[in-house]
Amino acid sequence: MQQTKAQPTFWITRQMLVLFAVLGTMPLWAESVGLYQYLGVEIVIWMIFALGFNLLLGYTGLPSFGHGAFFGLGAYAFGLVQHELAVSLWLGLLGAVALAAAGGGLVACFLSHRRGIYFALMSIAFGQVFWFVAIKWHAVTGGEDGLLNIPRPAFDFGVGHLALDNNTALFYFVLAVLAVVIIGLWRLVHSPFGKVIQAVKQNEMRTAFVGYNVWLFKWSAFTISAAVAGLAGGLFAMAQESAYPDVMSLHASGFVVMMTLIGGGFVSFWGPVIGAAVFFLARDLLGSMTETWLLWYGLMFMAVVVFKPEGIAGAWQDMVKRRSSGRERGGHAGAALAAQLKR
Amino acid sequence: MDALLNLLPHIINGISLGLLFALIALGFMLIVGVMELINLAHGSLFALGAYAAMLIISPDPAWFGPLGQWYLGLPLTLRYIVGIALAPALVAIVGFGLEFCMRRTYGKDPLYGLLLTFGAAMVLEESIRLFWGSGEQVMPVPQAVSGAFLFGDLIYSRYRFFAAGFAVAVILLVWLFLERTPYGAIIKAGAHDSEMVRALGINLTRLRLYVFGFGASLAAIAGIVMTPIWGLRPHVGVDAVVPAFLIIVLGGVGSFWGAVIAGVLVGLVVGLTGAYASEWSLLSMYLLLIAVVTFRARGLFGKKSMLEA
Amino acid sequence: MALFEARHIHKRFGDQVVLEDISLAFQEGTMNGIMGPNGAGKTTCFNVLTGRFSPERGSVSFAGADITGLKPREIARRGIARSFQIMNLFDDYSAIENVLIAVPEVREKGFNMVQQLNGGSSAMDKAAEVLRKVGLAGREQENAAALSYGERRALEIAVALAAEPRLLFLDEPTSGLGAEGTARLFDLIAELKESYTIVAIEHDMAFLFGLADRISVIHWGQVIAQGTPDELRANKWVQASNLGKLA
Repeated sequence: MQQTKAQPTFWITRQMLVLFAVLGTMPLWAESVGLYQYLGVEIVIWMIFALGFNLLLGYTGLPSFGHGAFFGLGAYAFGLVQHELAVSLWLGLLGAVALAAAGGGLVACFLSHRRGIYFALMSIAFGQVFWFVAIKWHAVTGGEDGLLNIPRPAFDFGVGHLALDNNTALFYFVLAVLAVVIIGLWRLVHSPFGKVIQAVKQNEMRTAFVGYNVWLFKWSAFTISAAVAGLAGGLFAMAQESAYPDVMSLHASGFVVMMTLIGGGFVSFWGPVIGAAVFFLARDLLGSMTETWLLWYGLMFMAVVVFKPEGIAGAWQDMVKRRSSGRERGGHAGAALAAQLKR
Repeated sequence: MDALLNLLPHIINGISLGLLFALIALGFMLIVGVMELINLAHGSLFALGAYAAMLIISPDPAWFGPLGQWYLGLPLTLRYIVGIALAPALVAIVGFGLEFCMRRTYGKDPLYGLLLTFGAAMVLEESIRLFWGSGEQVMPVPQAVSGAFLFGDLIYSRYRFFAAGFAVAVILLVWLFLERTPYGAIIKAGAHDSEMVRALGINLTRLRLYVFGFGASLAAIAGIVMTPIWGLRPHVGVDAVVPAFLIIVLGGVGSFWGAVIAGVLVGLVVGLTGAYASEWSLLSMYLLLIAVVTFRARGLFGKKSMLEA
Repeated sequence: MALFEARHIHKRFGDQVVLEDISLAFQEGTMNGIMGPNGAGKTTCFNVLTGRFSPERGSVSFAGADITGLKPREIARRGIARSFQIMNLFDDYSAIENVLIAVPEVREKGFNMVQQLNGGSSAMDKAAEVLRKVGLAGREQENAAALSYGERRALEIAVALAAEPRLLFLDEPTSGLGAEGTARLFDLIAELKESYTIVAIEHDMAFLFGLADRISVIHWGQVIAQGTPDELRANKWVQASNLGKLA
């Protein structure tokens, strides 16, 4: 049960601390459990991407199947800034966010009076447009090969700077960005704005009749979500030291939908975080056993859609709820646990 | 006049391409119309049909021993006909399986059907990779429809004309099936009102199963016909499913000829932009869709449908 | 001058004329009823008056300003709120959140992305007060989807009330309620009537005749009779068309 009066007024919650503790110590234990440093970088970047995406899917109820486009825009923008303007971390990320937000804002102008299936189909079409342009516009994007040799600029904080060319340093940098994104989005979804977009998801017509400009709220959510995707894309270009059209393909756009859903983005703020981790662990663990790990991941996704669309977070909530109702009334510990994975 | 003459080959090309697009969209349209389901696995069923046909036309000689040797000794045309008849049936069986998985999503938000078929598309594509590898494959085509001919001073591919003619034939057959047979009447009734279908005492569960299987086999037929033109690789499905939904959205849900006209229109636009900027020709179809749908949400000939919900 | 006035409204869907030359006026501080048989165009009439559809012809004015063809949100912001016959709630939200989202103070902060929407504020007190008024005190934290049918109907009205409207449209408020629920709703509306201008579509005759100051009867997309409950009881048209059947 949601305690409206006692809603989190904190900037940082317990779940965040747990997540940051687990991820923050990852470089210490990753190799001993058979993982590697770069995997952490990838996971964290896709967590950022998926969290931004879920603002749209889970909170506003808009299923975008073309979100890879904005991730890609961010990646290209980051690369182009490094190549054409200046080798600068902040300028690069700023460019990534700005270009993705501009692209998202433009697309949202066409999509914000749509919802449901129609929205999904049109978002595929727009995603394909960006992907197609990325492949064909050689002069700017480098065509199918993409932009290569993108440098990893150092993290400059005025009094000194920190090189990010080794993966552990880069990992801590992207983790810091993730922390900022999580705190910002957590704040956002509990703000009046966040409440209104969730109202739009539940009942668009009533939201309009209560006096809200539904179109503008959808447009804003889309644009913010695209900007976060662009931020993740910029980091990805830095991590990969290149930007290429693959990340804009229907497949890549589909991956973010799948990981968000499997993690439980429909019912939990943490769904995309769980989903991104599961996706990459599945890729590496299944991938080490079979060439066609995507076949098994796809089957898993189908099973989740059919049997448990609320995903892993949803299953967790159910389990906790069952356990706490199994005890006597007033099982406060159980209720507190159940509340943990709530929005 | 001269300009028009210069454009003529592109127009012819565009129309033939458009008819093929319409063929690709046919199975997709049927499933959207009757089941209100966006089948994103359409492209993968399309690819699966082509792979299955290829396997039937030229199986590994080692598989069936002397029987295989005898079969491969048969004329290619005959094997091709066997392939084009048998592969869609096999794909229909896969379609039945998929429809079975789908049953739990009926009556829920249509988004779940979309997500499920998206997952199915991935599973099918990966299965193709598993059995046939990731490389580009070539499907043999009978002599009679291969090669090229001269018309005026331009060279045309004979196969393209065969394929366009084949597309017209399939489109007309499906139309006749829908309009002139009792089965077609039931399907059309289901498209308008599932309550009515139930009231008529028709088994809705079975209707959905058959319609999905039929739609899948139409996807397979389109795949077989398109393969000699597009080539065959596991992810060719994306190249098919995107034009398919694009044409349906453009033509409008629930309109048979709307989809056909939209297909031809897309083909023409792609063909004509190909004349001036061949690199960008495929982009034009997206821009056409966005331009039309921005002003007319239902597409050119659509009726009100779940897409607008 | 009337608070709300609709003049010569025409509305058609395709070839079908649904509303034909409807004129209605509601005075400030009164309770107005609209009745008529199913399919007579009552709900369409509401939808036109509250901006869901725009009329082909005719004009609508509210508080002296022309509001014809304005969007629902613009009409809502001028102080007209409505409830729906088919329930239209935010099902995943608790009762208090449903109401809170409609409170004007919250609405003005809609694009605030940093502050938290939570307790202690006067908006929260107002929301709780509205819930208390419709009889949902103590049910604030329950999800809308988990409420009983009668409670959901009450919440439907609460969401409309939360907007602090000058004019309140209620679409079939008793729909689906039993005798007891209807009686409770009767008391509620009798109370609301003291402080709001109300227009209600209703087919429960006794209910409407007991509450309304004026009633309009719509049939075949036209207003066939108008007047106080007493005048209507005497009206030949209404008698001829059989009051019972009108329900």
